[in-house]
Amino acid sequence: MADLLPPLMAAQVDAKTKVDEKVDYSNLPSPVPYEELHREAFMSLKADNFEGLRFDFTKALNQKFSLSHSVMMGPTEVPSQSAETIKIPTAHYEFGANYFEPKLMLIGRVMTDGRLNARLKADLTDKLIVKANAQITNEPHLSHAMFNFDYMGSDYRAQLQLGNSALIGATYIQSVTNRLSLGGEVFWAGVPRKSGIGYAARYESDKMVATAQVASTGAVVMNYVQKISEKVSLATDFMFNYFSRDVTASVGYDYILRQARVRGKIDSNGVASALLEERLSMGLNFLLSAELDHKKKDYKFGFGLTVG
Amino acid sequence: MAAKGPLKLKFKGKTTKGSKGGSTSTSSSSSSSVSSKFEVIKDWTNWSLKKAKVATHYGLIPLIIIIGMNSDPKPHLFQLISPF
Repeated sequence: MADLLPPLMAAQVDAKTKVDEKVDYSNLPSPVPYEELHREAFMSLKADNFEGLRFDFTKALNQKFSLSHSVMMGPTEVPSQSAETIKIPTAHYEFGANYFEPKLMLIGRVMTDGRLNARLKADLTDKLIVKANAQITNEPHLSHAMFNFDYMGSDYRAQLQLGNSALIGATYIQSVTNRLSLGGEVFWAGVPRKSGIGYAARYESDKMVATAQVASTGAVVMNYVQKISEKVSLATDFMFNYFSRDVTASVGYDYILRQARVRGKIDSNGVASALLEERLSMGLNFLLSAELDHKKKDYKFGFGLTVG
Repeated sequence: MAAKGPLKLKFKGKTTKGSKGGSTSTSSSSSSSVSSKFEVIKDWTNWSLKKAKVATHYGLIPLIIIIGMNSDPKPHLFQLISPF
């Protein structure tokens, strides 16, 4: 019996380098949460480009509690009927308080116009996590809230979502082998009465991640990320909707350098964008963002500073 | 009653306009007590969710600050206000 254990342990340690490793099906790793399925691809391809000035100051009062002050000035888009985008310059200040503890995380942000954005994450037991996310405004009927209950099993995760205006969803993801995980989701929305079902698959190794997701709303998303080295990774993505026949393909990169991080992408809709985050000194980060939409002739540039 | 705007509340499976119309139209003597109890429960949940929304809107940030100021090491009140 003791002779059997060392070869299996050695096989698991070298699992990623050997070609034919032994898979221990009773001891698979926990899969990524369903909503983070496309996490690596979206880090390069969906970086948060912004327009205007952004200044964030985070002040830590102690290890668990911090306050944040954020100023944003710039044009914001207003939805309009005509084909041109209408931008109105706005400025706002947002005050936030964060409390982080291993078992409880509370984040609240309030803006000058009275909008509150709140997030809560609490570990009820070591397998059950409850998360809540709410946006409350002074205007009636525009607030919404979402509660998620996550259960983490040994090699699967299940989640139940409840939202206001009668939104119920459930997702489940299971590790099938060391590298492959498969999952599915179901949702039912009360106000526009519709329900949907979707499936997802994720295959990862230590050099690449490939995911695919199909939903009954007609959306198909497939992406592939290759980690070329510690500093460079490239990603590509293909989204299409088989009801509305919209197709988008994009290619992006993510360079993590010692003092800076550059992420950029180019799209089949004629959008090229990039985001630079540079660490000027300890705790001081400088951000530059650019997004050029050649099809709609909309060019956005932003710069910002993050302290703390 | 229909313009009460129940859209933003969680338990809307029970309180959409269709079910309200349905419960008042089937008013026989035996089911009227059940439907009125139902109405009372719906009104109570509407009222409590409205109050919870107002309480969260005004009270969440003060709550986080109170929890944070009582965590250890206890920060000083001056640190809350000053920019250093």
